[in-house]
Amino acid sequence: MAEDQVDSRRRNFLWGVASGLGAVGVAGVAVPFVGSMMPAADTMAVSTTEFNLDTLVPGQLVVIAWQGKPVFVVHRTEPMLSRLKEYEYKLKDPESLADPRVQADWMKTTEQRMTRSIKPEHLVLIANCTHLGCIPLFKPSPGRAEWGSSVPEDWPGGWHCPCHGSLYDLAGRVIDGSPAPFNLYTVPYKYLSDTKILIG
Amino acid sequence: MKLKQMMAVSFMLGGLFAALPGHASEGHGVALKHADIDVTDQAQIRRGLTVFTELCMGCHSAKYVTYRDLIDYPETSLSREDVDDLRGDKPLIAGMVTDLAPEDAKVSYGKVPPDLSLIVSARRGGADYVYSILTGFEHDPAGHVPDGNFNEYFPGNRIAMPDPLSWLGHDAADTADLEQQALDVSAFLAYISDPHQNERRAIGRYVVGFLILLTLVFYLLKKEIWKDIKH
Amino acid sequence: MVIEKMLNSRLAQWLDERSDIVKLTRAHLTDYPTPKNLNYMWSFGSLAMLVLTIQILSGIFLAMYYKPSAMMTSGGYSVAFDSVERIMRDVNFGWLIRYMHAVGASAFFIVVYMHIGRGIYYGSYKGPRELLWIIGVVILLIMQGTAFFGYLLPWGQMSFWGATVITNLFGALPVIGSFLQELLRGGFAVGDPTLNRFFSLHYLFPLLLAAIVGGHVHALHVVHSNNPTGVDVHEGKGTIPFHPYYTVKDAFGVGVFLILYCYVVFFHPQLGGYFIEVDNYVAADNLQTPSHIAPVWYLTPWYTILRSFENKLLGVIAMGASLAVLFLLPFLDRSKVRSARYRPVFRQMVILFFISVLVLGYCGHSVPTPTLKLIGQLATIYYFAFFFMLPFVHKFEKTRPLPEEI
Repeated sequence: MAEDQVDSRRRNFLWGVASGLGAVGVAGVAVPFVGSMMPAADTMAVSTTEFNLDTLVPGQLVVIAWQGKPVFVVHRTEPMLSRLKEYEYKLKDPESLADPRVQADWMKTTEQRMTRSIKPEHLVLIANCTHLGCIPLFKPSPGRAEWGSSVPEDWPGGWHCPCHGSLYDLAGRVIDGSPAPFNLYTVPYKYLSDTKILIG
Repeated sequence: MKLKQMMAVSFMLGGLFAALPGHASEGHGVALKHADIDVTDQAQIRRGLTVFTELCMGCHSAKYVTYRDLIDYPETSLSREDVDDLRGDKPLIAGMVTDLAPEDAKVSYGKVPPDLSLIVSARRGGADYVYSILTGFEHDPAGHVPDGNFNEYFPGNRIAMPDPLSWLGHDAADTADLEQQALDVSAFLAYISDPHQNERRAIGRYVVGFLILLTLVFYLLKKEIWKDIKH
Repeated sequence: MVIEKMLNSRLAQWLDERSDIVKLTRAHLTDYPTPKNLNYMWSFGSLAMLVLTIQILSGIFLAMYYKPSAMMTSGGYSVAFDSVERIMRDVNFGWLIRYMHAVGASAFFIVVYMHIGRGIYYGSYKGPRELLWIIGVVILLIMQGTAFFGYLLPWGQMSFWGATVITNLFGALPVIGSFLQELLRGGFAVGDPTLNRFFSLHYLFPLLLAAIVGGHVHALHVVHSNNPTGVDVHEGKGTIPFHPYYTVKDAFGVGVFLILYCYVVFFHPQLGGYFIEVDNYVAADNLQTPSHIAPVWYLTPWYTILRSFENKLLGVIAMGASLAVLFLLPFLDRSKVRSARYRPVFRQMVILFFISVLVLGYCGHSVPTPTLKLIGQLATIYYFAFFFMLPFVHKFEKTRPLPEEI
């Protein structure tokens, strides 16, 4: 055996280089496989949604899909907006300060914190109840006339979640006593023109 | 002995592989014209896109290529404004689909024009085939097939597609221009049939380079370790 | 060394007391006694395991995006075809994983055919390795089935018509033919139900394959590796531990293989229409057959045997027999000497056999002409003649003297 003539430094060096390069190779293989599980290009392509506001009549609500999630878009009328201030005493978090998800970059003035929208008339919010994710029912008119006992007597108009009874006002602000912890979450959006918004 | 066997094996494999591609590209008789295209050439692909949208898309679609892809693919990288002009009121995420309804196409041409997203992969000869067809319209020497339906390179010669570049009877002065259009659109179609091909070849150089290095190290290590063994 | 340290670590000892893991690793991997004279033809076994791993891994990730539905979409395409194109265009690195899988299928057969060829040439099928060989033939059959099921999935023209032709073959069998055919198709023609069940089976078979490969390796480790001389090796004298000698040798083999494999994946993934056929980029159309239809290259030798007979039933039987006869190989060969190195007559026969398989493959892929048909028939005759001659060769063959030790 040539055991004593073995150049062990050379041998160890080669072992080291081979194992190191092998490890680099295995890590390299992981890149495409893990990468392939991330959202695909066509999924990313629909990560924004355009919406035409002139398809809404005053007072109307629509639920549209953005990134596979439901989004409320409401055209609020003057009377609807006027009730926001009036019932503020009933709210958990009237100025939307409790959580980053209920805030937005453009929420600067007190007015914007109250209406929770860039322009007061158009409200855009994630449509999932912040409690456990059901979609609340839109009950815009005040009082019990239209809604019966599903809403309190001094109902300002807003949303009622059928799952566990959470209540929100017409700015998506949660009413005290609801199981939901937060106001309805905001959605990033901007105006492309007076009548067109881009969500996402 | 070992070396001889290894040589024999690699010779066999090499022979097998060498025999293959020549056989696979066997066409339908007439030898195709060679399309000298470059799928990494952004200018050529963009010119080809213009030919595609202005001529081909009258009847053909490329449904796997969306308008958004034209912005996102580095080989086209159009601006949003250019794409808005192209798409009209179609959504950004829609594929490039012709306005010609399949039923109308059947009435006018007797068949539905094939989708062109994969045409270069789906035809023997690939881009050469597309280029040859576009510049292959002739008068039928036998006089049976009406002008515009006789194509030298089409299997059976009778083609349903009417001469899209008006190749038949064009002025000699226009030859270079028409050939360029045919080349450009062939390049575009070759590109969209496999839109990650340039990325693939770029990554491939690094991967194969790395593997050659790795294999060299393995070889040296093997030589080193096997010094222990006496034969 | 690092591996030695790992095997002696406290964690390894803890595991070993509860699972024998260290003892098994030593017995089957690191200290496993291996003949010292194996040549590079013995690398194809571990290469086959590598390619199986590549196929299962890439397949699992493709299945996250692939949709087995023949429902029509615009442009004459189907949901399945669209989902493959989505993988190729939109999924991150989807093109890479799909090409790895498609090229991997061909690579798997190249590697396994080399592995089988080595086994035949050096007489590795002969006693005491008969069962090892038989398990290997089962692996080959399951591989062919897996490839056949997988080829339908893109739902292109070759997928559709390939499946149509092959399910029709089963239909040619007497009595059970039409039953088998409907069982495979789930309808009167290849269609949506076929696609769904083929996807299910294409996912199942590789898992079976992995289990049977385990059995193959186990059987190997009971009877131990053959070697180029075919002489029995005495432990200690002619053997060396698997690690590090064959781990590094196989690593080098793997390196060479990966260079070739990645070269094809990154630069010629369709390999001129041999690995992914041109017609499979055309959506499946049940009203129009492609002008030239042939199976993928790795099935063409058997396709030629099928075509060599005028009678459909005879062709199907011959094709089945050409595969089934492989099971009998260990029992047909009566010679006491294993390796073709010391068997001059057998050596000529084997080389001619390999050539006949290549010729069969070539004929099966080409447009049939009378000349090619005749050549294919001659190759078919030799294919079977090889097996018919085997039991008699030892009676007149003068073998060369065997070495005492390797």
